[in-house]
Amino acid sequence: MTDTQLPAGGPEFHKLSYLIVDDFENFRLSMRHMLRSFGVTKAEVVSNGTAAVQMCTYDQFDVVLCDYNLGEGKNGQHVLEELRHKKLLKRTSLFLLVTAETSKEMVMGAREYQPDAYLTKPINRAMLEKRLGALIAQRNALLPINREIDRENLPEAASLCLQAIPRQPRYKSWLLKTLADLYFQMGDFSHARKIYDDVLAQRDLSWARLGRSRVLLAEQQLEESVAELRTLIESHPDFLEAYDLLADALTRQGKLGQAQQTLETAAELSPNALLRQRSLATIATTTQDIERATEAWRRTVQLGTHSIHDNVEHYLALGRSLSDISEVNIDEGWKDQASEALNLLAKMEKRFPEAPDVTAKSLLIQARVHAGQGQMPAANKALAEAHASVDADSVSAQLGLELAKTLFRMKRGPEAEKLLNKLAERFSDDTEVLQNIEALLDEPVGFKQKLQARALNREGIKAFESGDLEAAVKVFEKALAIVPAHAALNLNLVQVHMKQLAEGARDPQLVARSRRRLDALANLPEQHRQYRRYETLRKKLDAMKND
Amino acid sequence: MTEDKTSHPVFADDNPINFSMVLASAVHDMKNSLGMLLHSLDGLRDEHQDTLSGSARFNTLQYEAERLHSDLVQLLGIYRLDEKTLSAHSEEHFVPDFLSQHLSRYRPLLEGHEVNYRIEADDIQGFFDEDLLTGVLNNTINNAIRYTKSQILITASQREQYLVIGVEDDGDGYPEQMRRADTLSFKSLNFDTGSTSLGLFFASSVAHLHQDGSRRGFIKLHNEGKLGGGVFEIWLP
Repeated sequence: MTDTQLPAGGPEFHKLSYLIVDDFENFRLSMRHMLRSFGVTKAEVVSNGTAAVQMCTYDQFDVVLCDYNLGEGKNGQHVLEELRHKKLLKRTSLFLLVTAETSKEMVMGAREYQPDAYLTKPINRAMLEKRLGALIAQRNALLPINREIDRENLPEAASLCLQAIPRQPRYKSWLLKTLADLYFQMGDFSHARKIYDDVLAQRDLSWARLGRSRVLLAEQQLEESVAELRTLIESHPDFLEAYDLLADALTRQGKLGQAQQTLETAAELSPNALLRQRSLATIATTTQDIERATEAWRRTVQLGTHSIHDNVEHYLALGRSLSDISEVNIDEGWKDQASEALNLLAKMEKRFPEAPDVTAKSLLIQARVHAGQGQMPAANKALAEAHASVDADSVSAQLGLELAKTLFRMKRGPEAEKLLNKLAERFSDDTEVLQNIEALLDEPVGFKQKLQARALNREGIKAFESGDLEAAVKVFEKALAIVPAHAALNLNLVQVHMKQLAEGARDPQLVARSRRRLDALANLPEQHRQYRRYETLRKKLDAMKND
Repeated sequence: MTEDKTSHPVFADDNPINFSMVLASAVHDMKNSLGMLLHSLDGLRDEHQDTLSGSARFNTLQYEAERLHSDLVQLLGIYRLDEKTLSAHSEEHFVPDFLSQHLSRYRPLLEGHEVNYRIEADDIQGFFDEDLLTGVLNNTINNAIRYTKSQILITASQREQYLVIGVEDDGDGYPEQMRRADTLSFKSLNFDTGSTSLGLFFASSVAHLHQDGSRRGFIKLHNEGKLGGGVFEIWLP
């Protein structure tokens, strides 16, 4: 029979220092009043998130009691993220998020940073005393472990966990979770997995299931990890971290469509997590789902207003998406999107004046937006201004690509190609940059035409597979009319011609036409992914001529 | 503290009005307002200990506000149940700690009503979802305060491989037709009598969400307790 009895060492409320963060004076005072009645002497109060961060910069607090909803400006989650990110909060301190919510994850939904505990309103003195007592007792009991984690001494922390497990049955869950996580961080996946397996053998717990999936993912067992996460989500449809991990696993499998769907579901359940919106936006940009991408980038930018994760890249990505979408969207709304893009870029330049090349990047996107609206003088002016600040021998890859894209868009292809060749030389070790260069060289046209060409390419492949070679030729030629320099498309067409010849076609034009297609790719860089295929086909064709 | 409209999902679809969603949003706002009200009442009680603690009217005020608050929390829970976004995230807890922390919130109210209370819990660990169980206990304790004469007993023990948490009072006990040991379905809610058993439905649903292998939780209502009144039990696998 146990009632008020607390673990040895007991809570020593009054010796600790407290910070109370709340926008309502009434609550600040009553919270401080409660703390004082427990004998606390050091309790500071602030009324907003910015002040809280500032306070923690100059002073160490043992316990931060922070309301989630702080009115205008940062909310409690933002404060937590900023404190953890800037390392202003030690693991040995407690951050308690005060909230009126009963379904916390749904609201906060952050995967990176969790508070040490949630205090659910309404809070009274008796409850606060009990709750703080328990949390501080836990803090004291686990202090040696957290101290080692603060010092990044993970092996020592792990061995302390191991020692504590039989001695501290009260904190068994915490100890097992922390230990598994420590093993994971140290790259010792088999030990981490063993803990999860042992826990799961006893009982099917969602945190252990998630941990096990994370290990499987790290061990490259993608299929097993995906299957396990799907089961977990089925039984726990509110487990947002499981969605994030599943999206990660699916992305690594190359199943971007499914990854996107998974994140869409999670983002609908919990729309306020910036990092999740950013992952969604990134995937949707890759899958060219431009509407979703725009929406998710928009949300990412919005959520960044008070967040430590705010970044100039989010603004640039949204600007690009808006400029693309305003081109596709001819019927309605394109004017709105164009002006939204221009406003956004202006805001970005004010907000991130120090970001590298921010003005030039902004001007280039502006130029494309103007061009999309048919306002060529404005477009040319912006392009000229940006162009003047770029030196092809020293420009960053990102700005160079932005400039090349804009030059293509404004029908100055030769200049763009020259610039890209230079960049390919300078960044010959950087596969990501090379891939971007390739993509631009292949499809230097507007977004709308790009989509058309791709659809035609798929159609041509289908026709080829079904044996209708004539149809395949027609479709590939149509696609090449849009993107004449596209390497894979040219090679596809050549391959159809070869098959026609192999099947006994007697058209002497076929060889000549194939020759012309291959000649068009004569300058294909050796690093290009289609280069080998190009070489093979060229040799084959040469052999035919010699027959 | 002012309720931020973006802090809970707002679905801006062009679809026809989704009434349960509108209701859920409204309930959410009401619940938060009541939270403010309760906080102020606690403050008042602290400041005017001598005059207010024994005031029947003040105690009624606080009791009814608590009851409303816990009803609204349950309504939101049932909404999420309906949306299939409620599940049990069980963790291992030290049961006596959990119960004493929980009961502490009711201390001023119980003292105001001059209800004696105690916890008889074995030193056991149990697996359950803390938030969900908190919702169930809030409602159960509110009920017990309403029906008891002078005391409340909270118990916890391990029985037949289940963790059994009980709330007992010394009132008149449950009437014959309410005593049961199974899962309540939505159909069994009686909206005619004024007492909808919404709380029992919620408790039963929460119990059912708790699962270990093929075993699921359930609730039991009977009058065979130590205090002679009603006994509410939640059995968790």
